[in-house]
Amino acid sequence: MDTNGKLFRKFLEREEKINNQFSIENAKKQHSKGKLSAVERIELLFDKDTFEEIDAFVIPAPLTTSFGKITEAYGDGVIVGYGKVSGRLVFAYAQDFTVMGGSLGSVHAQKINKIQQMALKMGAPIVGLIDSGGARIQEGIASLAGYAMIFKHNVHASGVIPQISVIMGPAAGGAVYSPALTDFVFMTNKTSYMFVTGPNVVKEVLNEEVTNDELGGAEVHSKKSGVSQMMYEDEEHTIQGVRKLLTYIPSNNVVNPPVVLNPEETPDYNERLRDVVPDDPNKPYDVKEVINLLMDVDSFFEISENYAQNIVVGFGRLKGQTIGIVANQPKVLAGTIDINSSIKAARFIRFCDAFNIPILTLEDVPGFLPGVDQEHMGIIRHGAKMLYAYTEATVPKITVIMRKSYGGAYIVMNSKNIGGDFNYAWPTAEIAVMGPDGAVAVLYRRELESSEDPDALKKELIKTYRDEIANPYIADEKGYIDEVIDPAVTRKKLIVSFEALQNKHVARPAKKHGNIPL
Amino acid sequence: MKLGWSSKKELKKLIAVNPGRKKFEFPLPFTDELKVNGKTSEITLKTDDKFGTYLLYKGKKFPVELLYKNQNRYEVLLNGVSYFFTIETPTSYKRMKFLSSKSDGNKNENLEAPMPGKIVELLTEEGREVRAGEPLLILEAMKMQNEIQAPISGKVKKIHVKTGQNVLKDDLMVEIHAGK
Repeated sequence: MDTNGKLFRKFLEREEKINNQFSIENAKKQHSKGKLSAVERIELLFDKDTFEEIDAFVIPAPLTTSFGKITEAYGDGVIVGYGKVSGRLVFAYAQDFTVMGGSLGSVHAQKINKIQQMALKMGAPIVGLIDSGGARIQEGIASLAGYAMIFKHNVHASGVIPQISVIMGPAAGGAVYSPALTDFVFMTNKTSYMFVTGPNVVKEVLNEEVTNDELGGAEVHSKKSGVSQMMYEDEEHTIQGVRKLLTYIPSNNVVNPPVVLNPEETPDYNERLRDVVPDDPNKPYDVKEVINLLMDVDSFFEISENYAQNIVVGFGRLKGQTIGIVANQPKVLAGTIDINSSIKAARFIRFCDAFNIPILTLEDVPGFLPGVDQEHMGIIRHGAKMLYAYTEATVPKITVIMRKSYGGAYIVMNSKNIGGDFNYAWPTAEIAVMGPDGAVAVLYRRELESSEDPDALKKELIKTYRDEIANPYIADEKGYIDEVIDPAVTRKKLIVSFEALQNKHVARPAKKHGNIPL
Repeated sequence: MKLGWSSKKELKKLIAVNPGRKKFEFPLPFTDELKVNGKTSEITLKTDDKFGTYLLYKGKKFPVELLYKNQNRYEVLLNGVSYFFTIETPTSYKRMKFLSSKSDGNKNENLEAPMPGKIVELLTEEGREVRAGEPLLILEAMKMQNEIQAPISGKVKKIHVKTGQNVLKDDLMVEIHAGK
């Protein structure tokens, strides 16, 4: 082809138009609000020079009414394409707030739909960098239809490819439901917010004054509502967080997660594990210490760190292999299971199950959180979610009972009989229907009432209960526990057992889908 | 196609910022040279079996330990003193300054009891400065001693509970005043 000819010149002129459209001036508009531009975000997310944009030249749909106006800009306010993240194919779209407030028009939506379909076909994760004022009012129903298409693709891709939403500005109205349908929602503190109805409507309808941040800021959603799993203090760290998460998860549901070895070795035999759990059952400790001692150095990546902290969930690695961890946290609410922690764990377990990630359960749970509040809010229904998720999961499942394991909570936390593949216990384990105090009170009420020294009798009975019932050895002798192990050898045991489970295969009867108690 | 416009940004330095907003710049890639009070000195980080990890400065050894690390927040124990700081890039540092200029910094945080229980120990006092995550009191509930931590950094404005007192869920325990 003649590179000086008309045809090639026209091609170059087009390229130049795009070059002129994006500029440092545009980026500065975003910087002045403490945010980054769409281009900068894309560049941070992908490995250097690997991003390929598609549909860069599309133009917005023309207006069919005289209401409002349209900014003629190439791309219609969204950058879509694909590239490499840590060497692996990832699709992404980034909304550009500087073009009509990043509003979603029909063309904008079609671009997103296009890469959603591509990502699904190619079996690669998709990341949405969201910074949008919402539906484009001028386009009316067409933009709502656009949202509907995005939601539909979100649902179709759910459980097939990982979907990550990163909120980096506003996401209001219908726009919030795409992130809600995806696997992980990241937010940047103070410059991102999500709500179904904004502060203006809240004021009009309820006469309540509330700011964007108070109503749907990153802190609210990562601490109170649980809508967002990850919160970071700035956009660069937010995107770093997305890149890190992607290293733990597979590209789709038919491949295994990548193996990432750490040259710094974790000792397979570690006596420090014997000291983390205090002998006094009333003393709390931080279960994350146990996790860090068991996993590869620096490999624990916590999910929903600020929400329902009485359960800890996250990814870690054992000899480079990704493991999903679910652990009771005795430091918070005594490690009891309540509504929020059950929902948090259930969702995490189902993600692991969908994406071939084995699950490790670290158990120290006194029971479900009692109270009118919990019962009336439906702990029965919500607690059942975790039970359902554990039982339904066919990935390798291992439990280590570290200390308390009582009643219904014992059953829920991946016990042998709901399908735990290997169930271990430390010598400090107390496995029984209820704690010693409760058991003595129920079974010896009359004796205690008629006793001359009820305190001494109670003490004696509690001791008998601990010696004869609330220990790991009865469960071990009856086969409900596969082995009582020395805490120091736990890591070694886990590596060997997960390896043995590598080719685990479970056949379930065919069905359309189960009916998890939502 | 390649992106129409590239920000062509390369990270040239990182900035450590302490809670008092004092900043310390480190050019990238890292070298052993560090500017201390305008003078360039050599500081090296070493690890051996005898001393563990330590900083070598002017021939002297200063033991150092990483106490806490979460996202870009760090706490380091150096020579027995703990230092808390965040690591920022030039962009995130600008953002941090921008956001702090916008916020009024006068917010209060009310710490309420997460569950019914008994206060067994107070670990702080009124007027004391606390950092987010610092334990404020021990609440015994569910037969377990629970450490209740400061949700934000700031000053303890008022403590509404006493040792030995029983509290109900959502009872106000401590008021914290954000900022200084």
